[in-house]
Amino acid sequence: MRAEQLHAILRKLNAASGEVEAAAIVSTDGLVMASYIPEGIDDDRLGAMSAAMLSLGERAAMELGRGELEQVLVKGRDGFIILIHAGRDAVLTVLTSRTARLGLIFLDVKRTAAEIARLI
Amino acid sequence: MHHKILFTGPVGAGKTTAIAAISDTTPVATEARARDRTRLLKPHTTVAMDYGVMELEGGEKVHLYGTPGQPRFDFMWEILAEGGLGIVLLIDNSAPDAMYRLRQFLRVFAEVIERTRLVVGVTKMDLAPQPTLADYLRRLSSAGIRAPVLEADARSPRDVALLVEALLYCIDPGIGGADP
Repeated sequence: MRAEQLHAILRKLNAASGEVEAAAIVSTDGLVMASYIPEGIDDDRLGAMSAAMLSLGERAAMELGRGELEQVLVKGRDGFIILIHAGRDAVLTVLTSRTARLGLIFLDVKRTAAEIARLI
Repeated sequence: MHHKILFTGPVGAGKTTAIAAISDTTPVATEARARDRTRLLKPHTTVAMDYGVMELEGGEKVHLYGTPGQPRFDFMWEILAEGGLGIVLLIDNSAPDAMYRLRQFLRVFAEVIERTRLVVGVTKMDLAPQPTLADYLRRLSSAGIRAPVLEADARSPRDVALLVEALLYCIDPGIGGADP
């Protein structure tokens, strides 16, 4: 079942890096397709917010001459949010700890997004 | 002078269309392919916001913001409602739950409506003549809200401009146009 395969991909991402705290695959209109998130995070909210931010990021990047969107990065006091396209119709959202080494995380996230894109 | 107006309402009411109809600049839209029940209505849906600008006589600008319609994006309703002159609430009259949606949005935006102003634009009345404008007025009245209710075709620049003017007129009869 595809949902299980997607879930397995997210579990693998989570295991690959101790600094990934949550990950979800969301449709571009904000519906969660698979998620690996701890208690206390509302996955419907995460889905809708991811879609909204990715969409705005896309428009801004194009209109402000930054080219095609590669990722949206949000830095909070307690960690990061990374949003990246996983295929044309889905978004991979990753939440990391404050001490995450972004360079390594970006590689893992990109690879995971490509894997998801092949599947869906 | 800059003003801000919010277009909100349920999915398919015509918010993105309305802003596109009257914006003097190419509007910013954030549409994605719809995969939930929305896709039964239309292929795309707004996931963040719409943005357009309308210039009034005298050089005043009205910034037009549109919200997504689905409740899962209600954080955008809050964000976009900040600092506006008022709300243009569009309701799709051809939807079976039109009245329910009116009540829902009146509830969600109650505080903003009280502080600012409201105009209700009823769309797709050519597809469904019921409820009538009188029905909407009655419903608003029983909620203690006084607001104009106009029939509008969201594709029509004239209809949408009338909604905006009705809202501005509620706020300050001196804004943007001939004095009464």
